[in-house]
Amino acid sequence: MSAVVEVPQRFDERSFEQFAAAWARADAAAKIILDAHACEWISPYGLVALLAAGQALRERGAEPRFTVPRDRDVAHFWGRMGFFDHARELYELHGTVPRVKAGESKVLLAITPVRAAEDVHTVVHHIQEKSAAILTGELGLDSRATIGFGMALSEACQNIVEHAGTGGWVCVHAYTWWKSTRVAVIAVADAGVGFRHTLEPTQGARYGERWGDGAALEAALLQSMSRFRDQGRGQGLAGIRRYLGRWQGKISIRSGTARIAIVPPWDDDAPLTEGLAPFPGAQVQLVIPAGAGEPR
Amino acid sequence: MITQIDVRGVLARVVPDHLTDLVTRPTGRAVRSSIEEELALLTGRTVVVLDFSAVRIIDCSCADEIVAKLVAASLADAGRDAFFLLRGLTDEQIEDVEVVLRGQRLALVAEASGTLRVLGEVADQARLAFARLATRGEARPEDVAQDLACSLEEARAALDELVVRRLVMREAGNYRPLTAA
Repeated sequence: MSAVVEVPQRFDERSFEQFAAAWARADAAAKIILDAHACEWISPYGLVALLAAGQALRERGAEPRFTVPRDRDVAHFWGRMGFFDHARELYELHGTVPRVKAGESKVLLAITPVRAAEDVHTVVHHIQEKSAAILTGELGLDSRATIGFGMALSEACQNIVEHAGTGGWVCVHAYTWWKSTRVAVIAVADAGVGFRHTLEPTQGARYGERWGDGAALEAALLQSMSRFRDQGRGQGLAGIRRYLGRWQGKISIRSGTARIAIVPPWDDDAPLTEGLAPFPGAQVQLVIPAGAGEPR
Repeated sequence: MITQIDVRGVLARVVPDHLTDLVTRPTGRAVRSSIEEELALLTGRTVVVLDFSAVRIIDCSCADEIVAKLVAASLADAGRDAFFLLRGLTDEQIEDVEVVLRGQRLALVAEASGTLRVLGEVADQARLAFARLATRGEARPEDVAQDLACSLEEARAALDELVVRRLVMREAGNYRPLTAA
């Protein structure tokens, strides 16, 4: 039996739920085709989530296929973001893959694999050396916010290295948020074990019957809990929270069947959503609004 | 004695490809290990100035691996008479380091904008005593008691806490803040 999972026409964190529901329904199928031919717009979150989906399918022995966006400009954008460089290792690609070099144009950080601490250094160095001008110039971020951006990026990526049990991807891009705010977005995704699994040995008993994906996300993001018993652990997400708090930014993390967000005044997202379609690993998005010129 | 450690220089020495960014725990561990080798050569009472001026980014993981673990190890080592002083951190980095230290009930002294301040967790009275000491430069418990309008015993207890936490020095009955000059 084969199943087709459609990539939403406009694929971002919001429409990810539509994608995840279709992906979950297709999970048992022998052959899976991810169909992006009608996709017209995609966020960094959507791009790395597609790679995580492919990673999950590969790890269970599937050989998924992927249909490239039909629109030439859209496919070119995906190419500039480096999507096809990584997707061809996971998917059998169908359609016309454009020959473009990843990272061209004003891409802050093309999709980059994160497997080890070394990769985190590479990512942070790239952002500070190559993209600081875009962050301060185009987005009007204060130079202090740009430095903090590197710190937040580092911590988000380290989360994969230390907790996922597998590799993942990071991507950074600036675009116009759906409410017309210009933003810089860090998207990180993996198809690893997820927050619930990683925290269960140390935190599960504390929560008792409440324990689940939502409780695990609360423990990690709001209470800085870690799977390590070392008191110094669990500070990474706390550091990201402080940074976003200073610059009116937003963080959301989806893992398993739950999603948690710390929502700034300029957005109206739900703080915690449970009972979502299951999706492996963790998907993290950090959003910094343009003009974050003065810390709170 | 005062020992200045250029943390960026240490980073460049132990992880040559990463010249200015203190990120990830493995990097933090490598930097700490190198600093500990330097500290092992020290004898006698020493103010160790950790200078972060040339460091661009320090994430919380590195702050924990370098700063918090150096302080914790120093406090646990009765044979080491080292006092740590941080220099060259931005306001945001100071806030991050402070939270990392508080999480482990640790504290140390940072120099920012020409003034000394305690980062991390200390009792309120000890923090007030530190502020007075930083302003005065050197003081006896009687001076601090007068400044804080508290009893001599309370002032002495606050100052002794600062000494035990290696945030100030006690010499010949007088207390004085760490100085990097």
